[in-house]
Amino acid sequence: MLRRRTRIEIPEFYVGSVLAVTVSDPQAPGKTSRFVGICILREGHGLRATMTLRNAIDQQGVEICYPLYNPTLQKIEVLRLEKRLDEDLRYLRDCPLEYSTFAFDMEPEHAADSGEVPVNPVKVPLRPRPWTWRWERAGMKGLIVPELREDFYERAKKVSEPWHKYDLMREYRRSVPVEDQREIYAEVHEHVQSLETDQRRVRRRRVFVAPKKTS
Amino acid sequence: MNWCRSVQSLVKSAFSGKIRQESSNYAQLRYMSRVKSRHTAPRHFWMKKERARYPEELSSENEAFLREVVSDRYESPLRHHPPAAPLAYTPGVRRCGLVARKIAVQPMWLSNGKYVNTTLLHVADNHVVGYVPPEMLNQNEVVRRRWKEQYRPLAGLVVGADQEDPTKFTKEYANMFLEAGIMPTKKLTRFTISPEAALAPGTRLRATHFQVGDYVDVYAKTRERGFQGVMKRWGFAGQPATHGATKTHRRPGGIGSGAQKSRVWPGQKMPGHMGGQYRNLRGLKILRINTKHDIIYVLGHAVPGDHNDYVLIHDTVLPLRRRKEPGTVITDEEAAQLPEDIFHPDVHQMAAPSIVF
Repeated sequence: MLRRRTRIEIPEFYVGSVLAVTVSDPQAPGKTSRFVGICILREGHGLRATMTLRNAIDQQGVEICYPLYNPTLQKIEVLRLEKRLDEDLRYLRDCPLEYSTFAFDMEPEHAADSGEVPVNPVKVPLRPRPWTWRWERAGMKGLIVPELREDFYERAKKVSEPWHKYDLMREYRRSVPVEDQREIYAEVHEHVQSLETDQRRVRRRRVFVAPKKTS
Repeated sequence: MNWCRSVQSLVKSAFSGKIRQESSNYAQLRYMSRVKSRHTAPRHFWMKKERARYPEELSSENEAFLREVVSDRYESPLRHHPPAAPLAYTPGVRRCGLVARKIAVQPMWLSNGKYVNTTLLHVADNHVVGYVPPEMLNQNEVVRRRWKEQYRPLAGLVVGADQEDPTKFTKEYANMFLEAGIMPTKKLTRFTISPEAALAPGTRLRATHFQVGDYVDVYAKTRERGFQGVMKRWGFAGQPATHGATKTHRRPGGIGSGAQKSRVWPGQKMPGHMGGQYRNLRGLKILRINTKHDIIYVLGHAVPGDHNDYVLIHDTVLPLRRRKEPGTVITDEEAAQLPEDIFHPDVHQMAAPSIVF
């Protein structure tokens, strides 16, 4: 993973950020293809870590899942770094397409370096049913679920598992404990210095301005 | 499968000419698919391996003395070191394999951008424990009886993995390792080899026994699945979930064969114990070898067994995957100069630039 990061800069991003990914593709013209989209999902650990970008092209929703350590990825740019109210934006599939549309020629937006990642508190409305998921049960904060019949909520209450929030072991398994985090950061710290010099080299290589001819 | 061949020959001799004309009779011959040969108890001819552990209540000085005795016996610089190096692959010669442990399944990318899964097999502490000459190998009795004109005697090489404190084993078991000069091992197995591929007891076997790009076969015990029903165990279709099916959704259904054979055939597939069987997986390509930790990365994630289970690796028997050129012998001095990771040329190394088409 660290060796791959000396060749490509995998920037900091979260679910809700807008990214542009350039991938080398043998079938595409110019042998590269660029995709811009909002990150709706981040899954996997280690070399299997993936991110899913969503966009709407010609009124058709398109999602592409990229393994972060795939060697065919040429460049990952963060066009808008922000978080949303949820860590999983798969509900955008059942929302109007305007909330998943991002222009391909979108310019990177540089936020003020306050140190904190801004949280976008937008609440997205749903299209009329049928949906891909029972959003009335999902408890998504960034989603406006319309009022449904009573029996929906009765059934939701019957199948709900409210004891999960008290399950400490479940939370422990889901997250990386503090002791393990310290170990990992200590291991990574040795490589971070050399990584930064390599990444600066990669950045400098990209920013090449052809000299303009002056009469 | 020997059992079923003998049944076939029995039937053939009884219906001596008729069997070939009536193809339906021949097709009806059934034999046990996936013959179950699980042995939960040690075989009667095995010696006792582990001794009963009871609280001996040794004083700390006595415990330290025992540890000193063990280290003197096995780690002394005066210990005899075997001169021979491990044998390289030679076409036509069957050589021994390795005993490894399945430790992980990791993803890898090939240089054409394809994503593959690789299984990591850790070759831990393999030593040759003994040589079984052709006269003593039981298999040769069977081979000699059947293929008299093609008889070529095979020998055996006993390989041990994962040395352990000798106090945990019986004296009988520990004495098997005197010739090799190593501590008794947790895992002991025998590989059938050509007599030319014999190695001296005590020879250390490493992951460099194989080369990157070789094809290997893997023999391991599958994961235990316990008592399973007929749908999971044999892939039966079951019955419908709805449309009036009464109390019958995952059952085998009918087990009879018809009026002519008014009984149940032996080997009828039924629920029972599943898993825990030794299975072969053939023709796995080696994509990478880590010489520092002796790990072989093998293409594929279907290696039988659970995490940390033992796995036997040997050169493939598949004729189209066997190498035609002989391999190179790597001595200990050369092994020290090898790079830590040896990659197959098809594999994309993460330190290399991104793939560009």
